[in-house]
Amino acid sequence: MSDYIVEMKHITKRFPGIVANDDVSLGIKKGEIFALLGENGAGKSTLMSILSGMYEPDEGEIYIRGEKVQIKSPNHAANLNIGMVHQHFKLVDDYTITENIILGMEPISKFAGLFPYVNIRNANRTIEELSKSFGLEVDPKKKIADLTVSMQQRVEILKVLYREAEILIFDEPTAVLTPQEIDFLLGIIEGLRNSGKTIILITHKLEEIKKVADRCAVLNKGKLVDVLDVKTTSINLMAQLMVGREVSFESEKAPAQFKEEVLKVEHLTVKNEDGFEVVQDVSFTIHGGEIFAIAGVADNGQVEIADAIAGLTKASGGKIFLNGKDITHDSIRNRTETGISYIPEDRQRYGLFLDFDLSTNLGAKQYYKEPFSNKGILKSLEFEQFGSRLIDKYDIRSGQGIHTQVRSMSGGNQQKAIIAREIELQSPLMIFVQPTRGVDIGAIENIHNMIIQQRDQGKAILLVSLELDEIMNVADTIGVIYNGRLQKVASSESLTTNEVGEYMMGARHE
Amino acid sequence: MDTIIIDGLSFALPLFIMAIGGIYSEKSGITNLALEGFQGFGAFIGALSAVLIANAYGTDVENLFYVALLFAMIGGMGFSVIHAVLSIKFKANQVISGVVINILALALTTFLTTQINALVFGAASDKFRLGVSERFTIEGLADIPVIGAVFTDVYPFQVIIIVIAIFAWYVLYKTRFGLHLRASGENPHSVDAAGVDVAKIRFSAVLISGLLSGLAGMCFAYSISAQFSSSIYMGYGFLAIAALIFGNWKILPTLAACLLFGFAKSGGTFISQALALPSSFTDLFMILPYVLTLLLLIFFSKSNQAPRALGEIYDKGKR
Repeated sequence: MSDYIVEMKHITKRFPGIVANDDVSLGIKKGEIFALLGENGAGKSTLMSILSGMYEPDEGEIYIRGEKVQIKSPNHAANLNIGMVHQHFKLVDDYTITENIILGMEPISKFAGLFPYVNIRNANRTIEELSKSFGLEVDPKKKIADLTVSMQQRVEILKVLYREAEILIFDEPTAVLTPQEIDFLLGIIEGLRNSGKTIILITHKLEEIKKVADRCAVLNKGKLVDVLDVKTTSINLMAQLMVGREVSFESEKAPAQFKEEVLKVEHLTVKNEDGFEVVQDVSFTIHGGEIFAIAGVADNGQVEIADAIAGLTKASGGKIFLNGKDITHDSIRNRTETGISYIPEDRQRYGLFLDFDLSTNLGAKQYYKEPFSNKGILKSLEFEQFGSRLIDKYDIRSGQGIHTQVRSMSGGNQQKAIIAREIELQSPLMIFVQPTRGVDIGAIENIHNMIIQQRDQGKAILLVSLELDEIMNVADTIGVIYNGRLQKVASSESLTTNEVGEYMMGARHE
Repeated sequence: MDTIIIDGLSFALPLFIMAIGGIYSEKSGITNLALEGFQGFGAFIGALSAVLIANAYGTDVENLFYVALLFAMIGGMGFSVIHAVLSIKFKANQVISGVVINILALALTTFLTTQINALVFGAASDKFRLGVSERFTIEGLADIPVIGAVFTDVYPFQVIIIVIAIFAWYVLYKTRFGLHLRASGENPHSVDAAGVDVAKIRFSAVLISGLLSGLAGMCFAYSISAQFSSSIYMGYGFLAIAALIFGNWKILPTLAACLLFGFAKSGGTFISQALALPSSFTDLFMILPYVLTLLLLIFFSKSNQAPRALGEIYDKGKR
């Protein structure tokens, strides 16, 4: 009846407090790369989990090769030649590549015609041939624990191919890869398409879609917005459809109004665990109403500067003044009280209690004070009221409001929650370390606006970022770091992107 | 010297087979502190069957060793269902479940032993007398100096245990079931994604640990104690757990640990007898294996690698 290999009709899936998929219908042609585009929480992964048998839809029908099916389990999906390459790898670290791939479908031989055993030697050969035929070369005898992330991903892909999948679903495959690895992977995906496989690519990265996909479905808040032909659609339009409004890649901001000096760092030196000086003799000042950005290639000491100011690492030399007060040897809480807000790089590890609910997380920096507690007893009502207020004020989206377990929230909303908590401290200094890492486009714009807004209210902002575009876009003053030393400090207008790049590489210095 | 080897082996091997049971359970991801309870309850069922059969048919209890062994394995396995159901089906805390099962086994079997003795045999006793299983010596081999002791005064169960141990190794490392079992203890999500039922694998693993523990308990009852009573709960189950941890959850190194414990125990007894110490001092030497455990902990703890998902309750939804 149609040339679609997969057809999903009127799929609806609800979770407590949220409609993950709302009447979604789409068809996927054999031999194409079909991209699913949407922000975090738009329902892409849920839709594909339904196709791969992890969830059953509440409403709607699925047709595979024209036949109506109910996919009840991942096994069932595998029998229909559907395989999913998961974002979070499901591998046994202690097993070899071969053992991981054959798990559940082991080739059995008989020892002395009597005792069945798993024939690893045969399997090794099969896997080697399989991996070569798709250009995914791996050493089948290596253990997973010894592999890089991108190698582990190859194993996941091979696992699906070993099960003779014709329809391959990739769930955010590039989220964990370096740019070179991404290029390689996209090449592999194109190769798979050319050998007749059908590919479904879940992503929120527009450049990847533009590079490899044939068609692209855009989801927003569970609803299908449109299905586009990728070649004839601009990146801007895709972004607009995905976010549901126009997205500006550049933030608008008024000229900076510098006020009094808030932070003063003098000859700061920081040693790492091995006693190596990762920050050497760094001095700078930040005024109220100023965004000071530290630009640099990863691991050049920028995170350590932020940590030393916030008190997470000890300064081994130099002094730090906040509003004129020497805080070099203060405890973290004292620094917070004196006036530092800190948005850490690893938000899940240092920024949130993932298994606590949202209101607790929002109150986590003030829990010990009135009105959140009285003589050591916490007042949950205060947390809830505070939480509800922040959720409204900062538009933090979650399934069950203040009672949502933070782990279940999207990365962008987790970050919004942290920023909301830190802004509410009303600290004169705010430190942002990689505030937009792993966050989708709509949320990035949002976060940039929040930073600029805080500046306009007279806060001093320290921004550490690896994204040069972000720095050029947001910063008033730029300090470029290379090898633990500040190479150049200048206003952002006086520097071009190229110049900053050269300082970052150490090709230029003062 | 010979007695150290002979007694050491006859203690170490039941310990070893119990430890293998523990390895199965823990490699599948289920913490198993209940070995002690399994072996006691298994031995109770085995001893009870032997005593009842002997009573009914007028045979000698000593000759019913193999019957007792069979029933002990069934008994241990049956008792282990409690741990499996609690920790797998009801996702209970595995440490608590294990500890409680040990207490339950001690209380239940002591109570039942006294009651059955009173009701069936009309005797006020808290033990079942079993005697000692017969032993054999392999002529020729037994004459080799030092090593000959290995072939002297061997209990038949020692041979049975070695055969089962080899089979257990083969199943764990060469078969499909073993591959699934070990993966369940490392990363159950990968097993689930491969379409294999994690709960089923773990359930079987716990039952195997019950079966092998029951076997071990019966061997203890028919050798060193010559009876079934609450003295079977001497902490051998915990010693087996210590052995499998020192053995890094691997079968051969675990055997080495068990032999060490065995020889420490028989060596202790030998020294106290050689010095002709009063019996209160022999008790002091009996603690040797446990002191050794504490010492070994210092050296082995660093390099140890437990199954990654050990003791974790497996919840499909959580990623």
